[in-house]
Amino acid sequence: MSASVDIEFKLNGVGMRATVPARMSALEMLRDMLGLTGTKYGCGEGECGACTISVDGLSINSCLMCAADCDGREVMTIEGLASDARAEMLKKSFVAYGAVQCGFCTPGFVMQAHHLLGKSPHPDDDQIRRGIEGNLCRCTGYKKIIEAIAEAGATPS
Amino acid sequence: MDYDVNEQFQPVTMGRPQAGAEQRGATQTIETYVCPRSLDEAADLLRAGNVTILAGGTDLMPQSKTGRAQFQPVLMNIRCIRELGGISENNGVVRFGALTTMTELLDSSLVRTRFQALWQACDRFASDQLRNAATLGGNICNASPAGDTLVPLLVFNARVVLASKADGPLTTRSMPLAEFLTGPGRTNRLPSELLAAIEVPLPPVGFVSEFYKFGTRPALDIAAISIGLGAVCEQDRLRDVRVAFGAVAPTPIRAAKTEAALDGKPLAVALAAALAAADAEIHPISDLRATEWYRRELVRNILSRMLNNVG
Amino acid sequence: MRAMDKVSDGSLIGKRIPKKDAPEKAGGKTRYVHDINLPGQLHAKILRSAHVHAKIKSVDTSAARALPGVHTVITAADIPWQRPIGVAKDHLPLKRDVVRSPRDEIAAVAAETEAIAQAALELIRVDYEPLPIVASAQDAMKPGAPLLHGEDLVVPGADGKPEVVHKASLDNTAMTFTYAQGDCREGEAESDAVVEDVFRLHYVTHCCMGVSGVIAEFDASENLTLYSNTQVPFLHKREFADLLGMDPGRIRIIQPPIGGGFGSKLDIYPFEPIAIYLAKFTQRPVKLVFTREEEFVASPTRQPVLLKLRSGCTKNGVLTFRYVETVHDNGAYTSWGATTPFVMMQTISSLYRVPNCDYRTRAVYSNNPYAGSFRGYGNLQATFAVEAHMDKLAEAIGMDPLEFRLKNAHDQGEITPQGMHFNSCGFKDCLRVAAERSEYQRKHRDCRSKWDDGNPVKRGVGIASMLHVGGGAKIYPSDGCGTILKMDDFAHVTLLTGASEIGQGSETVLAQLVCEELGLPLSAVSVVNNDTDITPWDVGAHASRTTFIAGNSALGAARKAKDKILAAAAGKFAQPAEALDLRKCFVVEKNGGKKLIELGKLIRSLHFSDKAELVMTTFYYEPPSKHQDREFRGDVSAAYAWATQVAEVEVDTQTGIVRLLKVTGAHDVGRVLNRLGIEGQIEGGVVMGQGYALTENLLVENGVVRNPNFRDYKLVTAPEIPEMDVSFIETMDGEGPQGAKGVGEAPAICVAAAVGNAIYNATGVRITALPFTPENVYRALHSNAQPPIWIAAA
Repeated sequence: MSASVDIEFKLNGVGMRATVPARMSALEMLRDMLGLTGTKYGCGEGECGACTISVDGLSINSCLMCAADCDGREVMTIEGLASDARAEMLKKSFVAYGAVQCGFCTPGFVMQAHHLLGKSPHPDDDQIRRGIEGNLCRCTGYKKIIEAIAEAGATPS
Repeated sequence: MDYDVNEQFQPVTMGRPQAGAEQRGATQTIETYVCPRSLDEAADLLRAGNVTILAGGTDLMPQSKTGRAQFQPVLMNIRCIRELGGISENNGVVRFGALTTMTELLDSSLVRTRFQALWQACDRFASDQLRNAATLGGNICNASPAGDTLVPLLVFNARVVLASKADGPLTTRSMPLAEFLTGPGRTNRLPSELLAAIEVPLPPVGFVSEFYKFGTRPALDIAAISIGLGAVCEQDRLRDVRVAFGAVAPTPIRAAKTEAALDGKPLAVALAAALAAADAEIHPISDLRATEWYRRELVRNILSRMLNNVG
Repeated sequence: MRAMDKVSDGSLIGKRIPKKDAPEKAGGKTRYVHDINLPGQLHAKILRSAHVHAKIKSVDTSAARALPGVHTVITAADIPWQRPIGVAKDHLPLKRDVVRSPRDEIAAVAAETEAIAQAALELIRVDYEPLPIVASAQDAMKPGAPLLHGEDLVVPGADGKPEVVHKASLDNTAMTFTYAQGDCREGEAESDAVVEDVFRLHYVTHCCMGVSGVIAEFDASENLTLYSNTQVPFLHKREFADLLGMDPGRIRIIQPPIGGGFGSKLDIYPFEPIAIYLAKFTQRPVKLVFTREEEFVASPTRQPVLLKLRSGCTKNGVLTFRYVETVHDNGAYTSWGATTPFVMMQTISSLYRVPNCDYRTRAVYSNNPYAGSFRGYGNLQATFAVEAHMDKLAEAIGMDPLEFRLKNAHDQGEITPQGMHFNSCGFKDCLRVAAERSEYQRKHRDCRSKWDDGNPVKRGVGIASMLHVGGGAKIYPSDGCGTILKMDDFAHVTLLTGASEIGQGSETVLAQLVCEELGLPLSAVSVVNNDTDITPWDVGAHASRTTFIAGNSALGAARKAKDKILAAAAGKFAQPAEALDLRKCFVVEKNGGKKLIELGKLIRSLHFSDKAELVMTTFYYEPPSKHQDREFRGDVSAAYAWATQVAEVEVDTQTGIVRLLKVTGAHDVGRVLNRLGIEGQIEGGVVMGQGYALTENLLVENGVVRNPNFRDYKLVTAPEIPEMDVSFIETMDGEGPQGAKGVGEAPAICVAAAVGNAIYNATGVRITALPFTPENVYRALHSNAQPPIWIAAA
């Protein structure tokens, strides 16, 4: 019998209980079990950043995280960023600066940029590029994403 | 010497049964999931056997998908074990808990100032998301021939501390990292043991170090070759020289002959001998990332550059 | 930081308009096909071949069928009425007797969950008889080589009788093209400098961030709904009808937002018909989504090409001839890659003025992956060769490389021997602006002088231009697009367009054009573009045609609406319609701008009156281009576009690492419509070109993809992008909407060519094979690396 694990955790500020198969990744739990499809499957092996979420204030590739490992932790996804002022500013920047084309990579970038700005509120160009090096985009060529993050960083919080 | 730097990254067969899958049990069933809170508890569980250890998951999760790593019936999440965290210094030895993440190492001023090569390796490691989750203990136990932190840890004469209750009470033993790594993906850790900490003596005053990882990206790359270099610089020569190579042998290695060729000798004179020694000490292979010939060229050119830049 | 242009009171044209769906995408609310789940849906997985080339002796699905949760397992034997897909119809979705590549689909499972479907795959037993592998086009052309399609492909026809849908190829040739203009022998005789090289262009793949996926559902009346990421919904509607023996009117294609296209979705690939078969068998919706590894292995690639180019010029710098032969590795089945010669021909015959040209190409079957269409469609490959020779010829006659190019560049009004009318042409401006802004000539001389200075790190600049269609491409019976426009009682417009939005921002630019015409804010327009039951026909998102053709279509509908509105206002205010205009939601006097009536009010008065009229208009725009004749002559596009890029590189000769420092581009785009959108297309295209030149390499060995993952297939990441300086040359094309021309593919096309020329300028070494990965460059610099060798034709 394959083990299931009962977990209790905070998801986007709301207390949650779930029973997850031991092998399930956090990404699978979010998308398939909890219906939160904003976090994307890009590669399943931590190379593209499309699945980026925040766990206890750190940005993490949810495809590499065991769902059971959410127990006792605070998890935030792109859906939860909706109520955060810094995130609102970031999303507005992404829109205004043309950093969104097909948009598939965008939630991952917004999550990662949100984390980056939390650590370095006013990052320079090099810090931004290094900060998003784990997020792949095929449409934009990154330039407008970098500009959008810089703009969000330049705006006084 | 036949090994594959990429051994752990074989592609999935998309539904075709893996060779030997039936013998192993095609569906890797996890029967029990445990999350111990103390080393003692974890060691008890390990002693009972058939345990897969989960730390950051950054190697285990993708490897289990490709079949490279198999889940044992017991999955043990060690993230909550108190004794495995933290960076502390005692009597000139720095102890890194096995769960120290790459980000924690990067954020440590101690690492940045005294263990520069280790700091640089963490800076070149994967991506921010991976650095936030990947642990030093995990990187060591994964024992990749190209393991980023392993090369500088060899330069700094790191030792691993292993804990177990195989004989009753909780005991530890330690050994040099070089001894711990035995082959690609293989270590001297017994199934009943847990890597608890990494102990690294503070290098001597005036010791400088550098880590180089070949790649076109700042990070997010598996090294085709990597080099760790450390020494005390005098006017025209180096003392207490440590040279380590990654991705050019079944494990990352210290290059004793290269060190001997350099130690205490004027650099201008010793350089050629050092490069020749390095070429003899490494055993690179050709794989999909680079050919043997190119790896040798890179080691020669980059080591030369690093030595000329040092001091 | 550059201040954002406000969308000011005046025109919207040329402004920075944020993409209409960007807020939703930035919030993670957009539901791509992967995010859509239909009630009662089943999950499908495909069993792919364990061998590169083999006979299928038997397939035993009994254990798989018996697995709890499995609804059905199908093989070709279950679909005896199967019909072929693809450009040459040599490709059955479920393979019958032979597998020709590791991506070949042998069986498919529909089950309650993905995990069960995956487990079922592992229970399917296939008995293979391995066949010798044809690992390259060269091997395929050897006498006695195994034939990959050595027998006619016969399927049941519409009347039940056997129909030959693809004739056997007895020498592994899949397709050939020949084109000639003038006489190359004469051209060569007139030449003072002749150069010849063999170029090898490699496998790369699209790597859309969203993997392939589809959902198929039959309703109670056997009508089919397909949630598909196709870029050509109407063409596919018709093709699926043929495939399934259905009335096309009973097929509906809904296009969820796409996670990237770039040409990967212009052909039907087996997974879609397979999902449909499964839906038919189970009478349940079936969802099939690839893994990333599957995406690498089973998606089409860019067309790899071995290209021999011989070209010449006079000592005064006039181009005389280009003689080209190519071999295309067609892979196991034929997709759009085999037709890239159509596009390559245009560059070879008409990128710069060349009186004599001879082009022959052969696509050859092998057990390798097959190529599809991919942003640029063969033009990257052709431009790489042509622009390398422009530099070589200039050097051979001692002429400045920029002057040489300017001398041979086309002017507005020229008609090429292939019959292309360059009605608007900013080619020379592109060359001058890119060269000036990048300081090309000074840097070129400067870097050249430093070849022997002993510094292991070298810099270089390289220039390259491209020519591509900019006003559609008439390769299908119609190159048109239909629009239906309706305006509600509150002056809100709904624009129903056949044009597909694939992330490039077409919906935003169409709304922009309509708003400009009708004097409305962008918030007043909604665009509906994703349902073949609702929208009128469009041939599809390809050939950089959408802004031009869908734009003109939308403008046509908007102008009709405007005419109707102004006619009504004219009557109401006793003024001629020509004296009126629509601005900022009002009907105004053209001269002076005096507001006469709020637009909404006028609409309501039209509606709720004796006349009882609504504003509803339609327009179908067919561009005035021509089909090519049998000799490939014809004005195939309504407009053409140029670009010049200068690449600045740094080469570390001790490692071979090439860093792309800067790309300075000048693009003839006709007119900038959405400045934000067009910059995004250019920047994205440049970085895609950078990947093609420097980092991306799909390693195919003996038919197997060795690096089907992002760890070892290197996309460009943020820290690696160059500085980008983009200028727009606005030639105001007479046919284009507001003067605009297409730009989607252009920026990707000449990056590799410019980088190749830059590496030569830095090091004195000309590398004629891609990619310029560190080891490849290092070998070219230091070892006796062999340049590509031409294959002797069989």
